[in-house]
Amino acid sequence: MPGIINSAPDCVTHAAGSEKARVDDSADFILQADYSDCAGFMTFGPGSTYGDEGTGADTAYMILTWLGIVVMVLVLVAWVLYENRRLIQFAVGYRAGGPTTGPPPQPGGVGDSQ
Amino acid sequence: MIATLIAQVESLKDAASSEAQTLDSVILGEQFYFFTVVIMWLIHAGFMSYETGIARRKNALATAMKNILTIAVVTPTFYYFGWWIYNCNQPGLPVGPNSSDFTSVACQSGIPWSDTFGPNLTNNINLVFFLAFLLFSWTTASIMSGAIIERARLSAYLILACILGSAVWILDAAWGWSAGGWLTLRFGFHDSIASGVVHGVAGAFTLGVLFNLGPRIGKYTREGLARQFRPHNLHMTLLGLMLIFTGFYGFYAACLVIASTTFPGWANIYLSPTTLGSIAMIITFGFAGGFTGGYFASRGDPFWTVSGGLAGVISVSAGADVYAPTLGYLIAMASAAMVVYAGTWIEKTQRVDDAVGAVAVHGVAGFLGMLWVGVFAAGYPTGLNNVDSSIGGQLMGMATFLPLGFLTGYFASWVMKKLNILRVPPEVELMGLDVAEYDPDLYLPEMASPGEVIVEPDGTIVPSEAILRTARDEVVV
Repeated sequence: MPGIINSAPDCVTHAAGSEKARVDDSADFILQADYSDCAGFMTFGPGSTYGDEGTGADTAYMILTWLGIVVMVLVLVAWVLYENRRLIQFAVGYRAGGPTTGPPPQPGGVGDSQ
Repeated sequence: MIATLIAQVESLKDAASSEAQTLDSVILGEQFYFFTVVIMWLIHAGFMSYETGIARRKNALATAMKNILTIAVVTPTFYYFGWWIYNCNQPGLPVGPNSSDFTSVACQSGIPWSDTFGPNLTNNINLVFFLAFLLFSWTTASIMSGAIIERARLSAYLILACILGSAVWILDAAWGWSAGGWLTLRFGFHDSIASGVVHGVAGAFTLGVLFNLGPRIGKYTREGLARQFRPHNLHMTLLGLMLIFTGFYGFYAACLVIASTTFPGWANIYLSPTTLGSIAMIITFGFAGGFTGGYFASRGDPFWTVSGGLAGVISVSAGADVYAPTLGYLIAMASAAMVVYAGTWIEKTQRVDDAVGAVAVHGVAGFLGMLWVGVFAAGYPTGLNNVDSSIGGQLMGMATFLPLGFLTGYFASWVMKKLNILRVPPEVELMGLDVAEYDPDLYLPEMASPGEVIVEPDGTIVPSEAILRTARDEVVV
């Protein structure tokens, strides 16, 4: 069954089967035939052999990265706005007659064992 | 014929062996950094416990959540621009897409869309090395967190944490904590385990923030004398410090470069040879000297005794790759004593309300650490140009890091103050941040106690409610 979004790069070959484990080395069991052309294969990445290490990815992976950057900025802004609204609401409610519940009891008073 | 065949077989064996050895070396390095990252998590568990214990109970949960959420914001910001800052700014500012350095391999691997950030089968080390630096970033941001508890907004802290953890410290690291940084190349600046690069800069940044944030309501009397807020759980604070200490061993180890195919197998951040054992030796003697200095300077105060251990370690970090154990022990002892006095001076004379003494413990000790290298460890070739460490180079680094940390912290918090998003409203501060930000019913009925108290400058303990309400009008926020 195909995935909703097939993000595998072209270097993943989907070959039937893969190399069998070497009989002289039972530890050699990584099934890498499908990935033998890949230096890397992260979702939406360029895949294939990268050539010079460190060259930037393009198109889909670049868009994905910038999407993350935008979300990061929006999250920080949302955090400020959400907290500001919550604190203001609390302060207004306090001035209007106090919160419905008091502050938690504090340790350190006379007779307190803490 | 047979001899040739045997020779060929032997040659193939050697090649196979060599390849296996290389793969083993790579995986060894990958595992090494991975486990330093795991150990460094303890630093953050420790910071959380340390600061939560210091806080009054009405602020305990808010304090803990602030620490935990450091991870939520510094992680993406460090990935999106922090690692680029480190890899692309070592020659100094400014750099950009047109800079020749920008096209270098190291710089390219620092951009967030670099293919080295994915499961790149040709590079096992890049991601674990990145993660080690990310943990350094969490640590740097967390240094500031404790100083501003009980009155700073969570969102304000998170933004400041991003600036400090993902931009400021990593920029100074690029300049002075890399083999190719301009401070290293030109001046032989030497700060091998980040006395100044992490702690000093974070302390300076924190001081800048505190100037704009102001003290907690009721911290100072009308005459300017300091009151004390009692920690709600000092045991939790001490445990937190012990967790931080444990995590520091991971931090120290992660500051080294593992090179298992090259003698002696380890290098410091400047790629000069060292050993893991020598680093661990100095950190341990740093703790010993620091505890001792802190104990006697504070006349046995538990908080300053244990904080002295932290200050001691920080003060020996810059030269930990070259110090003799005795020198580390003595430097740590003297530095911890100085930090105790500095902390008292900052709080009582300068009236800067630093809830956990971060400016003294990290800032003062961090800058002392840089200075001690110039005094006691000049003459060690540092960086790609093999420039000797010297007092001049260390002073140059200090003169760079102090304004970098302080001014960025001051300016960022000043902007937030002007936007009125730096500090919680006074009503929230009086009631406690937990009530406003989280569930007010945090504590079991059997944990009830008569009420919050405060320690007056003369040492008397009195109920705090009337003092805090009066002080609310006295403090200029």
